[in-house]
Amino acid sequence: MADLLQYTVTGITVGMVYSLIAMGFVLIWKSSGVANLALGQLVLLFSWFTYGMLVQAGLPLLIGLVIVVAFAFLLGWITERFVLRPLIAQPILSLIAVTLGLAYFIEGLCTFIWPWGVDVLPRLFSQDPVHIGTAVVSQEYLWAAGISLILFAFLSLYFKFSRMGVAMRATADDQMAVQACGIPVTKIFSRSWMFACVMAAIGGILMSSIGGISYGLVETGMKSFSVVILGGLDSFLGAIIAGPIIGLAENLAGGYLTALTWPGVREIIPFIIIIIVMFVKPYGLYGETRIERI
Amino acid sequence: MGKRSSRDITRRGFIKGTGAASLILFIGGVPLLISACGEKKETIKIGLSTPSTGAAAEKGQVLEHGNKDAIKYINEEKGGVGGYKIELVWMDNGYNAAAMVNNVNKFMDSRCVTFGCSSSAMMAAGMSVANQNGFSGLAVYGAPVIYRPPQHIYGQLPDYGDDFVVFAQYYKNHLWDGQGKPTVVMHLLNNSTGYGAYDGARAKAAEMGIELLEPVFEHTASTTSETTSLNSIRSLDPDILYIASTPKPSSVIIKNANELGMTGGRMKIACGHAGMTKALVDLAGADVSEGVYGLFPTVNWDDNVPGMAKVKEYCQRYHPADFGNMDYIASWCQSLIMVKAAELAIEAIGYESLSKGNQGAWKNFEDYGIKALNNYDVEGLQGPVSYTPGDNRLSKSLRVFQVQGGNINPVTDWIEAPVIEYEKLDWFGKI
Amino acid sequence: MHLPAGIRNFTYAEDMAIFRTRTQWVLLILLFVLLFTIPLFMGNYWLSIIIIIAITIIAALGLNLLTGYCGQLSIGHAGFIAVGAYTSAILTGQYEVPFLLGMLGGGLMAGLTGLLFGLPSLRVKGFYLAITTIAAQFIIMWVISQWGTMTGGFVGLTVPAAEILGFSFTSSTSKYYLVMTICVIAVFVAKNLARTRPGRAFVAIRDNDLAAQVMGINLFRYKLLAFFTGCFFAGIAGSLLAHCYYGFLNPEFFSIKESILYVGMIIIGGLGMTLGPIFGVVFIRLLERLLSLELVPFLESTITVFPSGWASGVTPMLFGLIIVLFLIIEPRGLAHRWNKFKNSYRLWPFSY
Repeated sequence: MADLLQYTVTGITVGMVYSLIAMGFVLIWKSSGVANLALGQLVLLFSWFTYGMLVQAGLPLLIGLVIVVAFAFLLGWITERFVLRPLIAQPILSLIAVTLGLAYFIEGLCTFIWPWGVDVLPRLFSQDPVHIGTAVVSQEYLWAAGISLILFAFLSLYFKFSRMGVAMRATADDQMAVQACGIPVTKIFSRSWMFACVMAAIGGILMSSIGGISYGLVETGMKSFSVVILGGLDSFLGAIIAGPIIGLAENLAGGYLTALTWPGVREIIPFIIIIIVMFVKPYGLYGETRIERI
Repeated sequence: MGKRSSRDITRRGFIKGTGAASLILFIGGVPLLISACGEKKETIKIGLSTPSTGAAAEKGQVLEHGNKDAIKYINEEKGGVGGYKIELVWMDNGYNAAAMVNNVNKFMDSRCVTFGCSSSAMMAAGMSVANQNGFSGLAVYGAPVIYRPPQHIYGQLPDYGDDFVVFAQYYKNHLWDGQGKPTVVMHLLNNSTGYGAYDGARAKAAEMGIELLEPVFEHTASTTSETTSLNSIRSLDPDILYIASTPKPSSVIIKNANELGMTGGRMKIACGHAGMTKALVDLAGADVSEGVYGLFPTVNWDDNVPGMAKVKEYCQRYHPADFGNMDYIASWCQSLIMVKAAELAIEAIGYESLSKGNQGAWKNFEDYGIKALNNYDVEGLQGPVSYTPGDNRLSKSLRVFQVQGGNINPVTDWIEAPVIEYEKLDWFGKI
Repeated sequence: MHLPAGIRNFTYAEDMAIFRTRTQWVLLILLFVLLFTIPLFMGNYWLSIIIIIAITIIAALGLNLLTGYCGQLSIGHAGFIAVGAYTSAILTGQYEVPFLLGMLGGGLMAGLTGLLFGLPSLRVKGFYLAITTIAAQFIIMWVISQWGTMTGGFVGLTVPAAEILGFSFTSSTSKYYLVMTICVIAVFVAKNLARTRPGRAFVAIRDNDLAAQVMGINLFRYKLLAFFTGCFFAGIAGSLLAHCYYGFLNPEFFSIKESILYVGMIIIGGLGMTLGPIFGVVFIRLLERLLSLELVPFLESTITVFPSGWASGVTPMLFGLIIVLFLIIEPRGLAHRWNKFKNSYRLWPFSY
């Protein structure tokens, strides 16, 4: 029973971190219909940049974080302006491919500026683990989970009620109609990319304070694809709920199935879930179903 | 456009003509050009491939620096070997197996007498080409599959299976005080680094009176939390937790174990030599990693051995950022060993045949150089290097270290790991 | 394609011919001569590079059939290549099956796996399918890693050298001939597949699958056929990779980065044209070689003011930049540019 509690707590907190990255993905999809496959690399870049600010330049914590957020805004704007705007009406294959190219580029950039590949951020949170009943969870995870929830609330409200948010949703639906209404589509793309980059930055800071900065951040990005698929590509609620589900599934499987089956079962659970979701409910739990009629 | 008769050379005809002519020249001329190139310098060429870019860059670059600095040392201060300078043909493999195959081919083309590789995975990629052509190679970090059954690839240092065997012996002799059999749980990285240790454990555990608990736990290189698996381990209550991994995931496991309250008690944590480096202490924190045991096949930087002064000097001069990193010493030793083998080979059969860099030269280098190594002390920097028939590991000795106060200190002298004939075990190569 | 002035087609056979004029036949024969005499003047190093290029072309042809002609984006190609490689290695190693049968077995197995993971294509399209193929890649590699009794798991599997009728392909030259022959056959098979009925069905599905269905093309059958064929090519490539290139298999050799690289290759080369993968593969492999073997060490040693290892970031950066630039400037790929160049040469000085 104590084990179950531990697995549940770890699963949910780890899952919330996945949700954080997934929300960045959903943000771009919801507002421009582009699948951002470079998200993992963006997280890596922002983590390194934080390292650069806090450790290499030695700035105090708050100023460093503010600069990181500002840089994220800037990078989002640059990416949209120079990489995505020329490809506005192209087929989706080109857009996906261009984010792949971007992913390569960002990875190279990280190796270029910080060639040593692995490093640690200064400890942002205290190291004492928090005890929930008999389960143990480190404070960093709790902070990450909390920040995810706050961001989720903020984003949902923004998309639902603010003018810009509504415009973003409209753009994802039909770009030409939005242009016809006089809303500059390019401005919306810029805004959504900037937000998404900021989210990636926050996600990066939290994740690298948990596990250090290394290439593994990109692989965690791969796992959040499963969160996105399970939750639905265009739903924030889906992302927040699917994250803990996947985290739970991973940890429960890791805890109970490892002894019965193979040692590495835990790694494959997110991907098996993707396949199952594809067969059962392709658009995810909360995603919008596309209905094509002749 | 002017009058044109059909005999004039039209633009189209001109292009066709030049195209054909240049193609013929190219086909005919390239072999001439290639054979004309190639000055003959009187050097011994040694090939070297490190994963200096890509996923293993932080180890690969340090390994590259150690190799190159050692060769610089040999060339500048000892005038090369047998009067001939060593020319290092260095290629980066980027931790990419396809590139490694190309690199081995390039070494063979460039008339190298042998080649060295730092990573076991990369050596596994390139070994087939080398073995098929009789081109000998030396791997710093190896895995049993590289040199069992023994062909032309040699291991400079004992492998991950040997790590486990030596630690188990040390534990039984010095740390075990109870009755019966000590129990071990293994936490493996999901590649040959982790499973190499598992192979050693499976081969020798019963013989040594150690009980290997099932299941074995596995983790990826990018894991951020092993609390779940450690929870299961805690309920198994083993005497030893053996982590066969690289520094970063090992640090995650140790941190999580600390959070669960598993450190500082009866259970001892031991790391294989892939993880037991300064990076582990840095990533986990000196306080958290206190008391963790580990193995390493070379000396550490504080040891006062003959070769250490030069290692420190060249490191400070050319690559001061690598100071304190064990991989630097490991690859320095690799260069020294290859040079020593070259020295023995030149003494035995002379420079001429080696300089040809063809199959005959490779065979000679292997027979008269590598196989002639006998108790070479590598200036005290690692265990003595000898070739024994049937065992392609050139050095079989390890030392046990422990993290004490943020430093990695040795707690034993050189312990020799026995040869394990993996290919005779029917489960080898399968899990 | 545009025909040179004065050439007219009078029969169907002439109209459908790939090599129509005498010039084209002459160039083709010269090309074969060049290809098959290369080992005479290239050393092991360049031969090994050309071998990997040829193997990659075979796999890329398969991916082009699947993604370029049929529009089913697949970012899991390395997984299917791995299936082919391991199947072929196990068949020839453990079960002593002759090499050619083993290679075909590898292709079949990879095709069947592709079929299995292609089933979701009947329900989802576009990006969702891409994610499914990424999941397929991870699942395949995980199964290979964990199924140690068959595949050697993480430790790896030694692969016997290819052997046909007692002749063992161990030298670089013999491997080169084997691989090049199979590559040439694969190119022609792919080209003809694209020109016949399945190929046209694929293109119809890509352009608008609802319309295709209305016209009577059985989506179920043709989408799965696309997956099967694309992955069959991948399996053949994998088998060659195992026997003629690495000689040893380890799950690490077939990572998601390889899959992404394949997608990049066919996009840069040109989707939907058989010449596309050839251009794309040659371009990217040579670029890789050039960057990581020549440029990076050169930069590393000349500009030492940055922390060491900085230059190794240049390769992925240039890569990514080139992919992005290609997509912005020439989204239809190198093969399309080549066709335009050929046509402009034929039609000069007229601009149409």
